[in-house]
Amino acid sequence: MIKLKNVTKIYELNKENRITALKGIDLEFKEGELIILKGASGSGKSTVLSLIAALSKPTSGEVIVDEKKISKLPDNFASIYRRDNIGFIFQKYNLIPALSVRDNIMLPMIPLNPHAKDIQAKLDKVTEMFHISHKLDVDVKNLSGGEQQRVAIARANVNDPKIILADEPTANLDEKLSLHFIEILRELKSLNKTVIIATHDPLFFGLDFVDREIELHNGSITA
Amino acid sequence: MINKYIIEYAINALLRQGYKSFFIVFVFTLLTFLLTSVFFITNSMKYELGSTADALPEIMIQDLKGGRHSDIDVSLVEKILALKGVSDAVARVWGYYYFENAGVYFSLVGVDTFEEQYSGTLSKIVSEFEASDTLSSSMIIGAGVRDIMTKSYYKEYFNFIKPDGSIKKVNIAGVFDTDTALESNDMIVMSKDNIREIFDMPQDKATDITVKVANPEEIATIVSKLELMFPTARVLSKDDIKISYENIFNYKSGIFLALFIISIFTFFIIIYDKASGLSSEEKKEIGILKALGWRIEDVLKEKFYESFILSLFSYFLGVFLALGFVYIFQAPLLRDIFIGYSDLKPSFELPFIFDLQTLALVFFLSVPVYIAATIIPSWKTATLEADEVIR
Repeated sequence: MIKLKNVTKIYELNKENRITALKGIDLEFKEGELIILKGASGSGKSTVLSLIAALSKPTSGEVIVDEKKISKLPDNFASIYRRDNIGFIFQKYNLIPALSVRDNIMLPMIPLNPHAKDIQAKLDKVTEMFHISHKLDVDVKNLSGGEQQRVAIARANVNDPKIILADEPTANLDEKLSLHFIEILRELKSLNKTVIIATHDPLFFGLDFVDREIELHNGSITA
Repeated sequence: MINKYIIEYAINALLRQGYKSFFIVFVFTLLTFLLTSVFFITNSMKYELGSTADALPEIMIQDLKGGRHSDIDVSLVEKILALKGVSDAVARVWGYYYFENAGVYFSLVGVDTFEEQYSGTLSKIVSEFEASDTLSSSMIIGAGVRDIMTKSYYKEYFNFIKPDGSIKKVNIAGVFDTDTALESNDMIVMSKDNIREIFDMPQDKATDITVKVANPEEIATIVSKLELMFPTARVLSKDDIKISYENIFNYKSGIFLALFIISIFTFFIIIYDKASGLSSEEKKEIGILKALGWRIEDVLKEKFYESFILSLFSYFLGVFLALGFVYIFQAPLLRDIFIGYSDLKPSFELPFIFDLQTLALVFFLSVPVYIAATIIPSWKTATLEADEVIR
């Protein structure tokens, strides 16, 4: 379903400063798989997620999702691809602090200009699923870290995407909330979504419902 | 189809920006208010000046002594009437009388009932005099003069102080209203003899002489003939007087330009701030929206609505305030800048002139400029890779 073919990604900070994040890697993810990408900071985990989400383009190589070369998509088509296929849970959640929980979760739906009934139905579904329905009108800036993460997860799922990507999802959580997030992952897996988690948190290693663990080191796959 | 959720998001974004939005609305409204007020006052003044200029004599002759205005000999009227093409010549007796109690000037205009008047306003007033047969002992005053005299308890008569310190009492026979307040508001019409007495002017002298020409095409020729006949006099055509009026007016509006430049400067600081780039928070928000599936056009639509709502609201608020300021409150402070010396004259009402062209000019000078200045940097950010923007 998702293929990375000989992908290299180089970030050019300026003319003299270039960082090679990925060095010609090949990866393949099947539909419904839950995969852990592990490795130290700077190993290239986040870059893999960014490329699959079409948030950036590879310097060379191809990213193919459902037989479509998404690495070649023009910007507007990349946005539509993300809207229809990807739910991204960012490390720092990337919520808009001054907006309410409801408004944050609605953001991916806005460009679709849906009917109010559809919006409400989708909101009800994800907020109940991720236990945040009692906070709908609260501004995100007034929520705890765990609540903010649940909002981010609800937002990632509101358009019912096939692929969920999570970048260091427990980096800002204590152990109790991290374990709760793992339970949410189990739920997502049961919904037959393809879930890819980039993390170096040992809590994720050796989980029974995880299909594969892939280790990256300095932009190359080591295991 | 209009996406109401993007509009809601735009309104929400403006409210979230709080003080920043308020500041921009304040400066934008101030700019629109100042610009529109100036144009409203300009339109009203132009209308007033145009009407006043229409009432001017075709040719006016003043005597000069050493380049300084001096009373002219009434006997010249006969010589002027002898010129071919001249249909009438009238010696005018008039002058500004300073009323110290109120600190204002009145324009005293002398008339003789048997003379043909050079303006429609005067003809109307003189016919009232003829009806009441009170020219020798009374006067007719403008509405502004009436208000000032009433404040000083002169309701039935007024005491003019003559150059020798004695008093000339003149009864108030009536108040006139004309279409143009600027022309007549400070005017007092009375007999030429009374004015001569008040200004201590000899019987054989007048303030100036007005000349009527049968064929308007010949005005320039007659002016040349008069200049040859009276080389020491100043001969002015109606057009010359109009130009001098407009020069005074333009000079006054130049003072306002200084004020205007300050507000423009402030406005362009905002534009510069916007055009020079977005804040890191604004950039990040665009990056988040793109990461969540917003297209470049969705982001730009949102930014368009944001700037359009803000600028349109400020524009209408500014225009609404200017309407109230100019036509209800009669433009205090600004009005003085335009009217200049006339602030020593009785006040007059600015006539309501509603000009769509003016409003369109102010609109196109401000709203599209602001929208462009908002959208361009947003477009620059929105076309970058979302990953780069969020990082």
